[in-house]
Amino acid sequence: MPVQKKIGLTALVPPELIFACRCSPFDVNNVIPGSKKYPRNKLCAWTAIWQEMLSKREVELDSLIVVAGGDCHNALVDGQKVAMSGVPTHFFFYPFDGDPEYLESQLHKLVDFLGTIESPEKPGQIKELKKIGKKIDEKRAQGKLSSGDAFRIMISFSDLMGDLDVFREAIYSLKEQKVEMNNRVALIGVPPIYHDFHDVARSLDLQVVFDELPFEFLRHSGTDIHNIASDYCNYTFARPLDFRIRFLQKELEKRHIDGVIHYTQFACHHMLEDEIMRAKLDYPVLTIQGDLPGKTPEQIKLRLEAFREALERA
Amino acid sequence: MIGLDVGSTAAKKVSIEDGKIEYQITGTHNWKDLITGIDGNDIISTGYFRNSVPHRASVTEITAAIYGVRHYFPDADVIVDIGGQDTKIIDVKKNNFIINDKCSAGTGAFLEFVANYFKIELKELGSFHSRAKRIPAINNTCAVFALSEMISQLVAGFTSEEVIAGMHYAFARRISFMVPDAQSLVLIGGTVKNKGMLSALKDILQTEILVPDEPQIVNALGALKYYC
Repeated sequence: MPVQKKIGLTALVPPELIFACRCSPFDVNNVIPGSKKYPRNKLCAWTAIWQEMLSKREVELDSLIVVAGGDCHNALVDGQKVAMSGVPTHFFFYPFDGDPEYLESQLHKLVDFLGTIESPEKPGQIKELKKIGKKIDEKRAQGKLSSGDAFRIMISFSDLMGDLDVFREAIYSLKEQKVEMNNRVALIGVPPIYHDFHDVARSLDLQVVFDELPFEFLRHSGTDIHNIASDYCNYTFARPLDFRIRFLQKELEKRHIDGVIHYTQFACHHMLEDEIMRAKLDYPVLTIQGDLPGKTPEQIKLRLEAFREALERA
Repeated sequence: MIGLDVGSTAAKKVSIEDGKIEYQITGTHNWKDLITGIDGNDIISTGYFRNSVPHRASVTEITAAIYGVRHYFPDADVIVDIGGQDTKIIDVKKNNFIINDKCSAGTGAFLEFVANYFKIELKELGSFHSRAKRIPAINNTCAVFALSEMISQLVAGFTSEEVIAGMHYAFARRISFMVPDAQSLVLIGGTVKNKGMLSALKDILQTEILVPDEPQIVNALGALKYYC
C-alpha cells in the first residue's frame, strides 16, 4: 500500500473526506501548546507558530488545508505565507449563512485537491467513533471522567490522530474515575493555548464540563459529501453569533453549568465577542486571555481561583 | 488574628483592636517586618504573594476587596481596585469581575513609569496635576506609546504639570472602558491616594465615587473579615 499523504489542517475540516481520500490528517494546532517557539511578526500565537514551523519545514507535510472563511481570519494570511514557502495549500471556506449547497461545492473542491475518494467506508467508521466521543462528553458531564482526559480525546477529533486504529485505542484506554463536581464550568471560545489548563482548573476545584470547540469537532459527521455538507454547515464558529449563542445556551442549560470561562487569544478577532457573550449568556463569566503557549501562568490561576470563590458566593 | 495583603508593590497588615482598625504598610519585600512575633496560624493572607507567606487561610484579592469594602460601604455596587500590576473591576451585584493585566496602561506601574520619566516621586504626581492650567489630549491607551505622546506634548509647549494631568485623564479613560454602569463606585488601591488621578476619574466616570479613608488597606481588612 502506498504511503499515505500527510495533510495539515488549520481548523475544522471534515476529516471524513481526508481519510476517504486515503490521506492522513494532521491538525497543525496539536504542536502549539507544547511549543517553545517565539514566532516573529505575530498577532495570534496559534497561527503564527504553525506558520513559522511549516514555512521552515519543522513539521513535514505533503500539503496544507487552511480554513480561511468563517473561522480564523489570521489563518488566511499566515496560510498564504506557508503557500509562498512552497507547501501545496488549499483554502477552504465555510458559508456564513450555513448554505449546504455552497459547502458541498467546497467539499468537492477539497476532494479534487486531495485526489479522489478511494475509501468510501471511512466516513461511516468515523461516525461510529464520534458517537463514542459524544458518550465521553456525557460521562465527563456526569463526573465519570476527568475533564483533562476527556478534553485530550475530544480535541483530537479534528484529525483522529491521523490513524483511526491508533485513535480507537486511545479512546479505549481512557480510564473512568469519580470526579467531585462542585463548580461546573463551560469553556467557550478557542481552546486555551496552555497544555495543562484543564488539570489546573480541576486542581482549583473548577470542573470543565463543556469544551465549545472540541464539542464541534465531534458533533458533525456524515457518510457522503452531501450529508457531510448538510451537517458541517452548522459548524457554529463559522456561523453568525446569534446562531452560535443559541446553540451555547441550549448546551449550557443541558449541562447544568454554574459559570462560563471565555478564553480569548491575544490578537484574535474572537476577543471582540466577549462583551456579547457576557451580555447574552446568563451565567457568571470569567474572561481570560492567553498569548504564548506553555503552562497556565500564575495570573491566570489567580483569576480561576477568584472565579471559584465567586461561584461559591453565588 | 491579622489580615495580611502582600501585593506586587506594597505589603499591608490590618488588625482590629477594641473595634478599631489598626494597620501598617511597607514595601512588598519587607513583608516579614509586618509579622514579627505573629504566628502563621493567626494570619489570613491575600494579594499576589498570598500563598508565599505564612497563613492559616488565604483568599484572592477579589473576595478580600468585597469583604473589605463592605465594611465601609455596605451597599457598594462596583469596586475598582487599581493595584500596582493590575486593575480589578468587581461588579458586586452581578458577582462578576474583570482583571486587566496584559497592559500596564491602567495600573500603578504606568504611574511609576511616568514619575520615573519626570524624575519625581510617585506621590508628587497629584500635586503636579493640581498646578496644571491646561489638559493636553493623550490618546494612546498603550503605556509605551502614551509616553512618546507625552514627550510630543512637552515639545509642543505644555508644561510637565499639564502633561501629567493629561496622562491622568488618559489613565482614567482607560479604566472607564472597563467599568459597568453603576449608581456608585468604590475606588480602592494605593493609586487612589493620588489626588490628580482621583480627580480625573471623577471627571471621566461621572458617577458617585466613594473612597475609604485608607484605600490601600481594604484588601488586608477584607481578608480578615472574610475569615472572622
